Amino acid sequence: MKHVVVIGGGVAGIRCAIELAEMGIEVTIVEKQKHIGGKVRNWHKLFPSFTPAENVVEELIKRVQNCQNVQIRCCCEAENITPHQVTISGGETLNCDAVVVASGFTLFDARIKEEYGYGIYDNVITSADLEDMLNRRAVKLTNGASPRRIALLHCVGSRDEKVCQRHCSKVCCVTGVKQAMELKRLFPTADVFNFYMDIRMFGPGYEEMYREAQADYNIHFVRGRISEVSPTIDGKLQIKAEDTLTGRPLKMGVDLLVLLIGMKAGDSNKRFELSCHLRRQDSGFMQPKDSFLGNVESNMNGVFYAGTVTAPKTIGESLNEAVTAAHSVAEWIKHTA
Amino acid sequence: MTFFADFCIPFIVGAAYMALVVAWKYVTWLRHLPKSDLKLIAKGIFSLKSLSATWEVIRESLLHARIWRVNPRLGYMHTSLAFGWFLLIAIGWIETIAYLGFRWVPLQGHVFFKYFVPKNNIETHLPAFDFVMDLLLLFVLSGVAMAWYKRHNSKSVGMKRTTRHTRFDRIALTALWFIFPARLIAESITAALYGGGSFLTGGLGDVLDSIFSRTTLYSIYEASWWAYSCALGLFFVAMPFSRYMHIFTEIPLIFLRHYRLRPTAEESSYDRFEIEACSRCGICIDPCQLQSQLGNNEVQSVYFLRDRRYNMLQQKIVNDCLMCGRCEQVCPVGINLNTLRLNSRVTMRNTPNEGRYKYLKGIDTSQGEGRVGYFAGCMTLLTPKTLHSMQQIFDAAGEQVWWADKSGGVCCGRPMMLSGEVDAAQKMVEKNKELFRVHGITTLVTSCPICLRVFRENYDLEGIEVLHHSEYILRLIKKGRLNITHNAQLTFTYHDPCELGRGSNIYDEPRAVIETIGQLIEPEHNRKNAFCCGASVANTAISDAQQRTIAQKVGAELEATNAETVVTACPLCKKAINRGVERRVADLSEIVAENIKNINR
Repeated sequence: MKHVVVIGGGVAGIRCAIELAEMGIEVTIVEKQKHIGGKVRNWHKLFPSFTPAENVVEELIKRVQNCQNVQIRCCCEAENITPHQVTISGGETLNCDAVVVASGFTLFDARIKEEYGYGIYDNVITSADLEDMLNRRAVKLTNGASPRRIALLHCVGSRDEKVCQRHCSKVCCVTGVKQAMELKRLFPTADVFNFYMDIRMFGPGYEEMYREAQADYNIHFVRGRISEVSPTIDGKLQIKAEDTLTGRPLKMGVDLLVLLIGMKAGDSNKRFELSCHLRRQDSGFMQPKDSFLGNVESNMNGVFYAGTVTAPKTIGESLNEAVTAAHSVAEWIKHTA
Repeated sequence: MTFFADFCIPFIVGAAYMALVVAWKYVTWLRHLPKSDLKLIAKGIFSLKSLSATWEVIRESLLHARIWRVNPRLGYMHTSLAFGWFLLIAIGWIETIAYLGFRWVPLQGHVFFKYFVPKNNIETHLPAFDFVMDLLLLFVLSGVAMAWYKRHNSKSVGMKRTTRHTRFDRIALTALWFIFPARLIAESITAALYGGGSFLTGGLGDVLDSIFSRTTLYSIYEASWWAYSCALGLFFVAMPFSRYMHIFTEIPLIFLRHYRLRPTAEESSYDRFEIEACSRCGICIDPCQLQSQLGNNEVQSVYFLRDRRYNMLQQKIVNDCLMCGRCEQVCPVGINLNTLRLNSRVTMRNTPNEGRYKYLKGIDTSQGEGRVGYFAGCMTLLTPKTLHSMQQIFDAAGEQVWWADKSGGVCCGRPMMLSGEVDAAQKMVEKNKELFRVHGITTLVTSCPICLRVFRENYDLEGIEVLHHSEYILRLIKKGRLNITHNAQLTFTYHDPCELGRGSNIYDEPRAVIETIGQLIEPEHNRKNAFCCGASVANTAISDAQQRTIAQKVGAELEATNAETVVTACPLCKKAINRGVERRVADLSEIVAENIKNINR
């Protein structure tokens, strides 16, 4: 029986493993964390349909666990990759016929944008923190009170040359709109502001959601990045920004600031480039062989990509790519047999 | 003896022309000096300062002591040319006296002594002089050979790059290269025909004598002296307009410096002395990170001074400078390169506008009360962890603090000053000064070296002690007001900010603070030779990507130390280095606040 190693047990990795298993190929998923499911596990609801994230993840996990020929290795990392051998933590080598790298992305560390005060001031949280709070049904300020004025800041660690992240993370705009709506549902009397550079509503249903947020939820959208945040004596956060549509600088006191952190290239990508000779893009994401007909293939025959390891993507796109990758792998294995 | 021959004409004309031009330059520059500078000269000229200046002239203009320190091979080259030539002239005069006694001899008589007084024409020959003069000629020729070789292979003298020259420079340079070989040939032919000369000219004379017939030698005898005279004349004519003007400019410059004349925020006649004292040696090129790390040529101090001297200065060159001071550090003439570039910026960019800062009136967003004032500065507000840590430090030491700009305040003015907008900067200076006075502080602490410099250099804060937070924290530790846990396991490396190190001469305090916390591992370039992080507010010409390139190169060197944490003491450096390294970058105050042992009060 043919054997494929899938690196990363996020939604892309799992989906790919299921597809390969269904084609009669033996699969080993190598996952860094204790559990498979990736970052979607920690998410609350998914745009634009507000589908609970757990519905998606649990369904995928159930399906992969039902596959007889999929072995899941948690708490271990891929140290070295060749098309026919993957060395994992501890020095064990897994022999295989092909490799799928689905190691995903890393969340941008908001502490690097020190001027926003994440990790310094109370009530500055990231979009990932907010999802966690929503999951725990514990969205409140540090002092236990409900926020009355909330700001969401787009593009934290995306499209920002100052922190060497020039790319657009694609999903944060719509996440910002989704989170603003969720906050408004929780706190109907609160004022919710989105500070943005552009609103990029590229997917089906996104634009409609954006309109709904304005028309039905009365969420405010201000075009301008926040330049700095400072605490006030009464425990609020003062934000400074420029409303670039009116051309005026503005100062505003808010109770809660949500930073919509972007997708950074995965931490292991550098290692893949240095020790495995897989090519990276300037952004740090892996370089697919070709943007059109080879978008799940790498520069090395027998090594494939799926999901956000090559660029920021939505969950739907990652799942689609996982299926494509599985079929490309199967074809390659057949070819080389 | 008449001491005149036709071939002397090029030399006489050249020398007279040079003397006139140099004198005219001196007079013009001195006449245009501000009154205050003239007073300083009047006060200093008959004092001991003139003696110490004379000593420096010997050390620098003749021996080139500073170049020796920076680069011994270049030092030898310059000494051999300058001191060697000087000795040839000086010993030449003594030789004249020794042969002819004390009598008036015209200049060309000294210079072409061997022509006018060949061996067969004198009663008692003094071979010792021939030997010394040959030795000196050899000394100078070795320098010329090095200079010639350096032109083609600058790495041979330890320079990655050497200066690109102007037309006058090339004429003068070529003439200079020919002077000494021409002299060697002329004197050797003379020795071959009339005797005299020692191992060099005598030796070469013998060789020439054995190769060529007497008739041939006689026929080229006059021509060889013509060649020597022409080379000299040509050099003298080109000299005042070329880099070699430094020879006669550095001498008055050294005297003026000893009389305490300095370049100022605005251009003045004194600047001419500094500008024309630049020999375009090019030592400033290699340390410039814009050159070594970005490949930006033609912006370095040597080119800036050249362009300013010939009135062809362009704003993009004036603006393309980090003002890191690395070139000033190595300049063998000690030219105030940053000040000169700054006052050019003032001339080009200062736009007085009375109404522009009217809104400053009445602004006071300060908080708290205390004798100690803390000024975060705009950049620290963008790195609030520093502010937060300073708060913890002040609390631990039980210090009552007046916070000048915790929730935003008025800029210190230095960024405007660095861009040449001195009038705008002055408005901010006045406003902040007023706030400091109104709130009655006696100590002013800042965590930003940019602010620190302007407070110290431009604020005139009598009665208020200005401290960088590194100095202040060290003082708290020394006085026992702040107890720090030492952990030898913690490793740090330290990046010297330009404005703090070369700018304010603070190198030891941050290091002492780091060593109370853990172990300090120095990067390859540190202290006076430290790199600039590239984010300097002084450079308005390079792009963000170029700034990042510099930051990454600097970051790589800091990471090579393998220290856990990169520490710096400037908010701008912190932000910049963070772009270039993967490990933690922290301000000095952060690592202090994290390791406070006990809260005193």
